[in-house]
Amino acid sequence: MKKILFLTTVMAFLAIAGLNAQTSSNASEDQRVSVKVDGLACPFCAYGLEKKIKDIEGSKEVKIDLKSGLLTFQMQKGKAISEETIRNKVKDAGFTPREISFSETSLKTKENE
Amino acid sequence: MKPTFWGIFLLAIFILRTVKMQAQGPPIYTGTPILLGLDGGGIRTFGKYISKENATAHVQPIAIPYNFTAKLQVGTIVPFVRKSPDGLGANSGLGDVVAFAKYLLFQKDGSGKTFRVMARVKETFPTAKKDEMPALGSGAYQTDVGLVGGYVSTKIGLYGEVGYNFTSDNLPDNLIYNLAVGLPLLPQQYPPKQLNVFLEFTGNHVTSQKQNTLFIAPGIQAILGRRLLFESGIQLPLTQDVPDGQKTNFIFLLGTRVLIF
Repeated sequence: MKKILFLTTVMAFLAIAGLNAQTSSNASEDQRVSVKVDGLACPFCAYGLEKKIKDIEGSKEVKIDLKSGLLTFQMQKGKAISEETIRNKVKDAGFTPREISFSETSLKTKENE
Repeated sequence: MKPTFWGIFLLAIFILRTVKMQAQGPPIYTGTPILLGLDGGGIRTFGKYISKENATAHVQPIAIPYNFTAKLQVGTIVPFVRKSPDGLGANSGLGDVVAFAKYLLFQKDGSGKTFRVMARVKETFPTAKKDEMPALGSGAYQTDVGLVGGYVSTKIGLYGEVGYNFTSDNLPDNLIYNLAVGLPLLPQQYPPKQLNVFLEFTGNHVTSQKQNTLFIAPGIQAILGRRLLFESGIQLPLTQDVPDGQKTNFIFLLGTRVLIF
């Protein structure tokens, strides 16, 4: 009896976990990428950074906030990007990349919150 | 009491620092070690009206830089020159063409600030007509080797430049030294929409003759979007150790930079 109860609990847990994962995946259309960039001291020189990020296939909604030194953009669903690629793009643009974070929450959803 | 160069410079920094401002664009006269945005991959042209004691001149150079990488820039400057000495006919045409290379030696970035040092080499070719009067070029090859440093934060931009110009054909060599401080009048934003003010000092010391020329150069700059910049400034002499009749009254500059790449 104890065995049945244990197996039922494990199965129920796995089923819920799987359901959650599926829901999360369905909810996010795009992946949001945030990069802290050092050296962003002048608006006129940020154009090169915007261009480099726009060159990445699947990137969109590129935004640069000079006040916080934050670069944000979205990757289309199904288009993956590595942290190394992002770092290289920022360096090629003449800046220093710091923390990079990926979020499944789309920018539109975030803005609506 | 005659104001000294450093006195004026420090006073200018103090006055500009008291105004709450954010980041700014590239200086108008002094070089910048930031080879990005409108100082990389664009076209720069500016008209210079030079008023001297016994002549006037108009110089219209077109500078085309190209960034191979974020650290290496090469380019060329093609000037159009018109000289009008008093009492003589004017002469105009192509001036001495310049080729240059810039390489970023040092870069230290922080949050909203950067400090960079760049080495530059400029080679001037005697392409201008020199047999007619007035001559439009120096008639000599010139090699200018220098260093440009700059600290740019979200509040202030400080730039310094020093170079040594080696000349051929027994012309005197000269030391070039420039300093600039720049501040914007509008809050920073991207895409940029900026109105910036600069105070610069441009110096030239002819080493063999120990002649020194120093100008103070206030300027204003408007950046209208990602690709377009307008700027204007005037150079006024503070010190001029030059022979009588060759002194400069003022040099007025009106220019634009357009990003094409």
